[in-house]
Amino acid sequence: MDETVAEFIKRTILKIPMNELTTILKAWDFLSENQLQTVNFRQRKESVVQHLIHLCEEKRASLNDAALLDIIYTQFHQHQKVWDVFQMTKGPGEDVDLFDMKQFKNSFKKILQRALKNVTVSFRETEENAVWIRIAWGTQYTKPNQYKPTYVVYYSQTPYAFKSSSTLRRNTPLLGQALTVASKHHQIVKMDLRSRYLDSLKAIVFKQYNQTFETHNSTTPLQERSLGLDINMDSRIIHENIVEKERVQRITQETFGDYPQPQLEFAQYKLETKFKSDLNGSILAEREEPLRCLIKFSSPHLLEALKSLAPAGIADAPLSPLLTCIPNKRKNYFKIRDK
Amino acid sequence: MAGILAPGLGVLAHLERLENQMSRSRKQSEEPQSVQAQERVLGTKIQKLRHLRDDLKAAVRHRRGSVKACIANVEPNRTVEVNEQEALEEKLENVKAVLQAYHFTGLSGKLTSRGVCVCINTAFEGNLLDSYFVDLVIQKPLRIHHHSVPVFIPLEEIAAKYLQTNIQHFLFSLCEYLNAYSGRKYQADRLQSDFAALLTGPLQRNPLCNLLSFTYKLDPGGQSFPFCARLLYKDLTATLPTDVTVTCQGGEALSTSWEEQRASHETLFCTKPLHQVFASFARREKLDMSLVS
Repeated sequence: MDETVAEFIKRTILKIPMNELTTILKAWDFLSENQLQTVNFRQRKESVVQHLIHLCEEKRASLNDAALLDIIYTQFHQHQKVWDVFQMTKGPGEDVDLFDMKQFKNSFKKILQRALKNVTVSFRETEENAVWIRIAWGTQYTKPNQYKPTYVVYYSQTPYAFKSSSTLRRNTPLLGQALTVASKHHQIVKMDLRSRYLDSLKAIVFKQYNQTFETHNSTTPLQERSLGLDINMDSRIIHENIVEKERVQRITQETFGDYPQPQLEFAQYKLETKFKSDLNGSILAEREEPLRCLIKFSSPHLLEALKSLAPAGIADAPLSPLLTCIPNKRKNYFKIRDK
Repeated sequence: MAGILAPGLGVLAHLERLENQMSRSRKQSEEPQSVQAQERVLGTKIQKLRHLRDDLKAAVRHRRGSVKACIANVEPNRTVEVNEQEALEEKLENVKAVLQAYHFTGLSGKLTSRGVCVCINTAFEGNLLDSYFVDLVIQKPLRIHHHSVPVFIPLEEIAAKYLQTNIQHFLFSLCEYLNAYSGRKYQADRLQSDFAALLTGPLQRNPLCNLLSFTYKLDPGGQSFPFCARLLYKDLTATLPTDVTVTCQGGEALSTSWEEQRASHETLFCTKPLHQVFASFARREKLDMSLVS
């Protein structure tokens, strides 16, 4: 086993928390049951890692095996990366998409290898018809850097792919080209949507965040469901503004629904507008150039936070459509200009 | 102050005394007649009240009697009510059954506060398969609020073509795509689950199930060469492939009998559903085996 491969596997295993180690090793499926049983996982981590490296050497782990372990680690720790969303389009009059996974993988790899001699490309298919692609980038003269890979998650027979944000931006056009050509599309465009939560991005992009549908079989009529109003049920207490509270609750429910909101960490608005004022003759109103400013809303769970604003009394209901359109428009980056 | 009031008080007190005297003298002259008159009036009143009391007592007795009679006759009254309730329940069950039956038509819907929620129930060869929902908002322009259609079905394309101009066409087109997808998926699933013994490798498939690739042997334990089949379904509204290629893995030139078999397999895959073709292979194999033994 190559020294660099050994080092790579060692560093990957060291990243894995002890309580996840057996699960990830099982998912990797490289070391056999028998081999894993010989390892004492109760030792100090360094000893466990050394034993595992020894077993990998026995089995002659290759760079590809190591890359696969890296993919699995990233799949378990998706939130450590920030994901961008790309949308591809087909040319006019193109044939029906007869997606062939083997063909796709070969084509993708070939395009990258032709452009950059040194590149490591690995694939792992998942059950939800998605393929995880790991690319370690090198140049014509340097070997690929295994510690700064880019990940792409492509949902076959859809126009969407998710890419991990990286600082090495010079390879993005090549990656886009490889993906487009291999999947038999024509163009690729980056969407204004970004988050750490891949599942939420998927739910927003595929419009699957609301999966409750009204049917004749549903037993609870909609009016009976409690609106979650935390109002004292004691009949001796009269709430003066109950009408207003119910109005706010109704509007919130209509806008955000009853389902759990997809998880985003921020929404960013870039404004480039001229100053508008009722007072004539103010200095700002006379200014010809538009004002530029950036407004960013951050939260561990932005959409749930927005949903709770009006019921908490912090904002008026209905909220600005600029805030409520985020999942519908599939954007959390906005540019607002004067029309 | 006392001095101002005292003369007033003296005059008023005197006037009062005179008034009382006058009323006393009037009373004394009236007494015998008024008393008698009053007695007469009260007497008639007493009689009237007695009459009223007797009438009311009689009425109460009458009511009690009829209530007792009612209780005795309570059985037939109650069954009338129960029959009504049963009739209503039966009606309700009927309506529920009719609504459920709509599922078998493949396309049903329920009105919502903002539009309609359409339910597409797919089926293939009489087997009821998955259901998909599309929630439509009835506004200008008509739009899809949310749905459960799989991501690889070209819903956006179909909506772009038909949703605004011809909603019927939109729904029927979507039904076509979903039913065809369900049918292809069903065939692929059946092949994997029921005929794994005849496959020599894993079945390669894609999300839309419109490209299937597999290798199979007619006699699993035997010496014959395995066949490679590649099925392309270019028509997404069809459940049978548009292009089929069957090759022999041996690579060498085939004998005429093998070539005939290969060609017949190609035709079979084009004309019959996948799992039925394999069912016929399995039957033939059983037949051959029974002939041998």
